Amino acid sequence: MSVEFILNGRRASLQAPPDSPLLWALRDEKDLVGVKFGCGAGLCGACTVIIDGQQVRSCVTPVIDVAGKSVTTIEGLNGEVAKAVTEAWIRAQAPQCGYCQPGFVLAATSVIATDPKQTSEQVFSQITNLCRCGTYDAIRLAVGYALSSLQGAESPEKGAAR
Amino acid sequence: MSEGGSTLGRIARRSFLIGAGVVGGGVLVGAGVVAWRLGAIDGYKLPASDGETSFGAWLKLGRDGRVEVAVPHQDMGQGIYALAVMLAAEGLRLPLEAVRATPAPIEARYANPVMLLDGLPFDEAAHGPLKQTAVWTFDKILRVLGMQGTGGSTSTRNISEQIRTAAICMHDMLARAASARFKVPADQLKNVGGAFLTPDGRTATYSELAPDAGKLKPNDIKPPPLARGAYVGRGAPRFDVPLKTYGEAKYGIDTRQPGQLYAAIRHSPRLGGRLDRAVIPAKIAGVRGIVEGKDYVAMVAETFAAALAGLEKAEIVWDDSMASSVSTKDVFAAYRAALDKGVDFKPRWIVDSAGDVVRASGKEIAATYDAPFLAHATMEPMNATAFVTETEAKVWAGHQSASLVQLMAAKAANVPSDRVEVFTPFLGGGFGRRADLDYIVKAVEIAGKFKGTPVQTIWSRAEDIRDDVYRPAAMADISAKVDGDGLPSSFVYRIAVPSVTQQFVARALPSAKGGMMADRTTVDGALFPFYGLPTRSIENFTVDLGIPVGFWRSVGFSLNCHFVECFIDELAAAASTHPLDYRAKLLARAGSYEPAIRAARVLEQMAAFDKANPLPPGKDGAMAGRGYALTASFHSFVGEIADVEIVKGDLKVRRVHAVVDCGFAIDPPNVVAQVRSGINYGLTAALYGRVDFDNGKVVPTNFDTYPLLSLEDAPNISVEIVNTGAALGGVGEIGTPAIAPAVANAVFAATGKRLRSLPLTLGPT
Repeated sequence: MSVEFILNGRRASLQAPPDSPLLWALRDEKDLVGVKFGCGAGLCGACTVIIDGQQVRSCVTPVIDVAGKSVTTIEGLNGEVAKAVTEAWIRAQAPQCGYCQPGFVLAATSVIATDPKQTSEQVFSQITNLCRCGTYDAIRLAVGYALSSLQGAESPEKGAAR
Repeated sequence: MSEGGSTLGRIARRSFLIGAGVVGGGVLVGAGVVAWRLGAIDGYKLPASDGETSFGAWLKLGRDGRVEVAVPHQDMGQGIYALAVMLAAEGLRLPLEAVRATPAPIEARYANPVMLLDGLPFDEAAHGPLKQTAVWTFDKILRVLGMQGTGGSTSTRNISEQIRTAAICMHDMLARAASARFKVPADQLKNVGGAFLTPDGRTATYSELAPDAGKLKPNDIKPPPLARGAYVGRGAPRFDVPLKTYGEAKYGIDTRQPGQLYAAIRHSPRLGGRLDRAVIPAKIAGVRGIVEGKDYVAMVAETFAAALAGLEKAEIVWDDSMASSVSTKDVFAAYRAALDKGVDFKPRWIVDSAGDVVRASGKEIAATYDAPFLAHATMEPMNATAFVTETEAKVWAGHQSASLVQLMAAKAANVPSDRVEVFTPFLGGGFGRRADLDYIVKAVEIAGKFKGTPVQTIWSRAEDIRDDVYRPAAMADISAKVDGDGLPSSFVYRIAVPSVTQQFVARALPSAKGGMMADRTTVDGALFPFYGLPTRSIENFTVDLGIPVGFWRSVGFSLNCHFVECFIDELAAAASTHPLDYRAKLLARAGSYEPAIRAARVLEQMAAFDKANPLPPGKDGAMAGRGYALTASFHSFVGEIADVEIVKGDLKVRRVHAVVDCGFAIDPPNVVAQVRSGINYGLTAALYGRVDFDNGKVVPTNFDTYPLLSLEDAPNISVEIVNTGAALGGVGEIGTPAIAPAVANAVFAATGKRLRSLPLTLGPT
């Protein structure tokens, strides 16, 4: 039995047992290793993917749950908001070890996409991912850059990274 | 505090663990052999294939015209690869894109003596002949040993001058080749970014010149002192940032080899427990077999999900006959007993002393501090991929020492170490955890049962937390006698703690004999204080109840700086003096002692910040407080100011300002990032961090029971860099030691309560 769904904009199917975690199916069966394993319990967000627009922890999501849905991983992330977020992330030079960053980028993209007119604080309060390098100052800066560029308040090219 | 007779005597009387490790490792070589070996090591050149030109150990010009810089350190988030690119590009006058970093081969040429030299028992301000001789000798021995390693905040200190020298020499060779080709004196050639231009308009690129240049003998050129340049002193975008943002950076766990299998591992739930037997009750889809290790069982399957499912179903019987029954309270009771026993306790060392603390007079102030065991909790859990045959082995893993991986994997695979290939991707965090290579040894053992098939072994988060090598718990009794103006006439510091270095040496080099001497890391942050404490005694009580301990970001500084800086704050309060003013007085008393001068410079900037940015009142009536701490670690000086609020009994850290003197900031934005990182790492420890043991079992299992600082609770951190031009200090760990004391002192300022145990718990208010 296979689960049919949309993966990064294309029709896809997974052979993994329907009750097994989406995380490992994406990594091992689809070779999408940008989806990271951090805790296996939905606590850290390293495994974040976007399912039908919402940020979801794939390590506690059974494969069967994505049947008929649209799943986006860091590898398939695109669109205006995603572009603004990733460019902001690079401008803020946010990553250090970098392991948790795809999860943060996906979480930020999904949160900002629901309403690009939000304040930075509103966005922060919806990001519960963990970063052991403590890149939080740079992540806050990046979120600010992304919102500014989407709200047209400031040209993203203006000014240095830090 | 000069290097007078008493200091020399003390050092001569003491021999140190690091020496035992080296000598016990079987390295006793004559001076002639050392010179010969060093000559061979210094002559090493990066291997070049067709179309490439090697310019020595550090640089080569690739076929595509890009320069490759060899980096013998692992990138675990500290940005050493990007720094190597920056330094090479600067010296070669190239754009950053024209340089790429590659892992250095496992050769003695790339040894990291700095990491171990920092463990020598010398006052960093001493420059006497004894210290010079000892450092010179150890440097040579360590370079012959050829141990690579990333840790101790040393990667920039270890390679920056070597890469700068190599780049300036390569540039000179290219210029000489251009001069010969065009018959134009080198000083009339103009460098136009990757090419030389003659006054009459002829050009030759580095690529065109490389074959001739590579044949020239390098001149002995010293790079100029570090100063602001095209990238140096300014910083530059790191090449790894886009890779990490777009999810393209590959970590050990992302290794994919043809036909690869996956293993899920489970360790004995109790420390010291052994595996009796493990069986798979029935056939499980995808499971290929079970591996029974000494203290673990591994389920090997075609997918990791199948391996995990198989492990859940396995019947595992543990043999607890050798298991530890230690609990946290036993550890602290043993510390208390050791400190109470005093001079009769063994092993005990007076690691640093001056004057006569017994005869000092004044009112005594005393306090006892303690801190718990801590896990590293790197975001990428422990994992390694191994491929083993009868004759060779390959390892793909994040780690902090390629040469140690080679040695230990060879032993586990039973092949010669020169038949072990090590592939190192990015590390999803190191923090000292990946200096201990148990996870690689086990992955090799597991793959050894599936010869000819690569096997990736991944630890669950529970295994990662439960089978860590912990930051040791510690307890310190500190006392001082104070004179009429409130300054200490004596200072006695006694810490009970196990030795990380001793345990590490025993794990990594079982043939080495350690344990006969004091481990400097146990007192780092307390010995050779920069404050004027002319009558002092810094004592170590080594108490080890068998809990595995390892190097955890900033190692002993994470304990001793906390205890010392909290106690200094107590002395300031007892003297009714502002904590900054009190520290200024203590520094002034140290006279022209170099560390005191550097610390005072940092303190001045702290005071300026303090004045310009008064503590805002707590929101909605919350109690607010500001705390200070001043530390020196890894040859850098850091002061931190923390503003806290107590909101309905909850401790919130709102803002942190750090002042940093790391000598010279080669990449200032990255120094800022690293110091912020160190502070947040230390804040997790200060606010939540504790690993408890119960009857030999580790209590926390995941981020619900071992919480990490979140975005919501992370303070805004500003970092101010003071370039003093002192010798380069470390950066990667220096933010960590000062934050816990700054926050604890801020809690006192807000509430009048001294919290002397970590993590900081307010209790009922």
